[in-house]
Amino acid sequence: MPTVPLVAFSDQRLANGLRLIIAEDHLAPVVAVSVWYNVGSKHEVPGKTGFAHLFEHVMFQGSAHVGKAEHIALVQAAGGTMNGTTWLDRTNYFETMPSHQLELALWLEADRMATLLDALSQENLDNQREVVKNEKRWSYDNRPYGSWNEKLQAHLFPPEHPYHHSTIGSMEDLEAASLDDVKGFFRTYYAPNNAVLAIVGDVDPDDARQWTERYFGGIPANPDIPPLGDLSLPPTLGGERRETVIDRVPLPRVYFGFRAPVYGDRRLDALDIAGQILAGGKGSRLHRRLVREERLAQDVALFTLGFIGGASITAGWATARPGIDPGALERAFLEELDRLAAAPVSEDELARARALVESDELGALARVEERADRLAMYATLFDDPDLVNRMLPRYLAVTADQIRDVCAAVFRADNRLVLTYLPEIPPADSSVEPADQPLDEEVAA
Amino acid sequence: MSGAQRAIVVETRPSPGMPRPYEFPPFERHRLANGLDVLVVEMPGRPLVSASLVILHGAADEPALDGGATVLAARALSEGTDVRDAVALIEAAERLGASIHAEAGWDATSLSVDVPAARLEPALELVAEMAARPTFPASEVERLRDERLNDLLQARADPRRRADEAFVATIYTPASPYHRPAGGERETVRQLDPDRLRATHARAFDPRRMSLVVAGEIGRLDVVRIAKHLLDGWAPSPSVRPSGPIVAESALSRRLVRVVHRPGAVQTEIRIGHPGLPRRIPDFHAVSVMSAILGGLFNSRLNMRLREEKGYTYGAGAGFELRRAAGPFSARAAVNTGATVPAVADFLAEIARIRDERVTEAELRAARDFLVGVFPLRFETPGPVVGALSGIVVHGLPDDELARYRPAIEAVSVDDVRSAAETHIDLDRAAIVLVGDADAFGPALESAGFGPVVIERDEGPRTEGPLEGVEDELGPIDVGPAGPTEGADETSVETSVERTDDPTGVKTGSEGLDGR
Repeated sequence: MPTVPLVAFSDQRLANGLRLIIAEDHLAPVVAVSVWYNVGSKHEVPGKTGFAHLFEHVMFQGSAHVGKAEHIALVQAAGGTMNGTTWLDRTNYFETMPSHQLELALWLEADRMATLLDALSQENLDNQREVVKNEKRWSYDNRPYGSWNEKLQAHLFPPEHPYHHSTIGSMEDLEAASLDDVKGFFRTYYAPNNAVLAIVGDVDPDDARQWTERYFGGIPANPDIPPLGDLSLPPTLGGERRETVIDRVPLPRVYFGFRAPVYGDRRLDALDIAGQILAGGKGSRLHRRLVREERLAQDVALFTLGFIGGASITAGWATARPGIDPGALERAFLEELDRLAAAPVSEDELARARALVESDELGALARVEERADRLAMYATLFDDPDLVNRMLPRYLAVTADQIRDVCAAVFRADNRLVLTYLPEIPPADSSVEPADQPLDEEVAA
Repeated sequence: MSGAQRAIVVETRPSPGMPRPYEFPPFERHRLANGLDVLVVEMPGRPLVSASLVILHGAADEPALDGGATVLAARALSEGTDVRDAVALIEAAERLGASIHAEAGWDATSLSVDVPAARLEPALELVAEMAARPTFPASEVERLRDERLNDLLQARADPRRRADEAFVATIYTPASPYHRPAGGERETVRQLDPDRLRATHARAFDPRRMSLVVAGEIGRLDVVRIAKHLLDGWAPSPSVRPSGPIVAESALSRRLVRVVHRPGAVQTEIRIGHPGLPRRIPDFHAVSVMSAILGGLFNSRLNMRLREEKGYTYGAGAGFELRRAAGPFSARAAVNTGATVPAVADFLAEIARIRDERVTEAELRAARDFLVGVFPLRFETPGPVVGALSGIVVHGLPDDELARYRPAIEAVSVDDVRSAAETHIDLDRAAIVLVGDADAFGPALESAGFGPVVIERDEGPRTEGPLEGVEDELGPIDVGPAGPTEGADETSVETSVERTDDPTGVKTGSEGLDGR
């Protein structure tokens, strides 16, 4: 079996605390820059949901020496690609550039880390507020089954926990975000000692260090970044939660959610492999039984979302074929989870899952952008960038017993959320029967 | 708090270093005795090899009565051969760490696999078996057919897919395959059975119309020998003939507005355009640059106006979907319901402006520099290299098309851009298709003077303007594997990481809003 080539990297800190990770790879004339800030939607306070993400948009509205939207214009004119994303535990910004344009990307990232507030205006904040509200409409509100993601977090985490609300936040809170909020957030969290910079690809490490020192070295640290409170949670929900949602969808769909071990916990590695065995493609157990053999489902999914504070999420769904009782679909889905929790998988089944995971990792890590992303992520979340070399061996070392044990701990009735989406009006041109299952809690989407 | 301490910053923008020379990786082409072409690209340091068997037969080549047969036949290739049943095929591939994707689009059918080089031969053995010896078992064909019918139901509820479907059904004449979704509509899909799929397979799969494209760290592996061993025994079929020309005529004789009413929708999905261009055109590079300026770059005219100035949308774009015949030109966005009419006005103004005025030198430079500069980034790994070479095969482009791409983009002038826009964009014969809450914007839309307005309500089409007989035959445009695409995901600043051009040929301009 081939293994992922070792990623050799250097790891150092500037005097102001910025962590700099560099890995060389000269195969293609391409270099990736990844800047991770240790701030995410979990840092939002009540009444300010969605703010970390709105702030991320403001980061593209200019800084002292870069005009509105000019960051992206300069990257694209240099032949690069870029984006920024916000998630519960972190916010990241990244560029992939032709290698001779690396210095420009570093300068652009430094200018906004140093001087974002110099260019801040009410007009730009208001504009991006509207853009983000349209992002919410597009990604959630105007999409069939679009509310499931928000409901998943709301059910699996208690109201006082910062994972309770979604990264996109609420319209009311977005409306309330002010210039002062932007200033406070920037001064608190967007400091070099709260960031990791990873540079991977066709780069001379001495050049990269010199440029990083030149552009980032003069940005002051913030010695007073407030620590997050205790995010720990009981490992299970403590009781089944159910909700039925009436939505404008033609086919019923049942979503499942479970609290899972935190990201980084070895048991989560085993749960990832369990997800592959249960729903990773056409050979998986759920697909084979629900889609191919019993023909209850149009499609199935199951995956893990790893979070470092308190608990992760394992979630999945199955879409009912016309005429199929969502209750029967739910029972069949859960039976497959129970079966994996009751008996170890065969060696052949585990070997197939390992082989697929290995190919996926090989494919992902072939790209410099993915390698930079992983190095910065592992450094930010675990203070351990070398996980880029150890995660695949960890996955390949997962045993059948470990899979059974974690499934038994996670896929429990008292740790389970079941969200059932039912059609508002059954489609006229299908054989869908009116759903006659009991509604536990009816919520219009 | 340290915010009071001023940062020491470098004000001067750094200038670029010396670009490292880049060439698209060279490829070798061999023809087997039975007419099958083998294209091999050596990419050192890429042990995960990408391979694709490309068959020159797509959904556009099927008779209208068979609508959906090509896409369904492709999906059913993995459902059993005369050697193995579906489960045995899947498990055999999984043991190799390989997922084999069999799919058909408008222009071609393909079986693709990514696999470590050491296991390329057994993976290709499965690919060859699926391509040459499928059995189309009745029970599995029935299941896939039902999944497609269910997917058509789902598409009607998704405003994006509904808008895409209504758009193509509006702009193409019913005689054109592009009028319908590539996966077919209910009326024809429900008729599909193993015999029709076998007939499709017999008509389409002929070694003289197939190419095997392989890229990666091949090393001492002899791909041509493997191909000979696995595929050369497949005799050409005398019954297979290239299909005739593809009808891609416009149904539009004037500008018109079609609204699919979605009561209470918080956004309106907007599609504006008309039948566009085939891939093989002399001014491909000028069209690429023009599309980037209008609606491809993040700082495109459309995105800057509708998003960064007005805040109407998460992203606006435009571009040509270049097929073997004239695929659609479309401009697109999802805007908050209250902004519907002003957003359409902005779209029309920007589309008119790219025709009526020359772009600036700065705009031209930014677009050219992007397309030239991003080229090596796209071909970092084997998968996209195989995709690009498959494009050359499918569209019959010269072997030096990719080597020529960057100089050809560099040579595009302001006048070329103007001429491309004037020649290929026509707002007088364009459709404006809106999926949204007509009760909220209907009257304003009527009085805006964009064109005659037809509003279709959920209970069925109802004509409210002078235009009669707009068909209500909507089906999904997407031909990807059935199944949900939405997952929990992080929230990002941009709708799509790459709102860019495909140098070989499938799309110019924005890849649409679903690209992420």
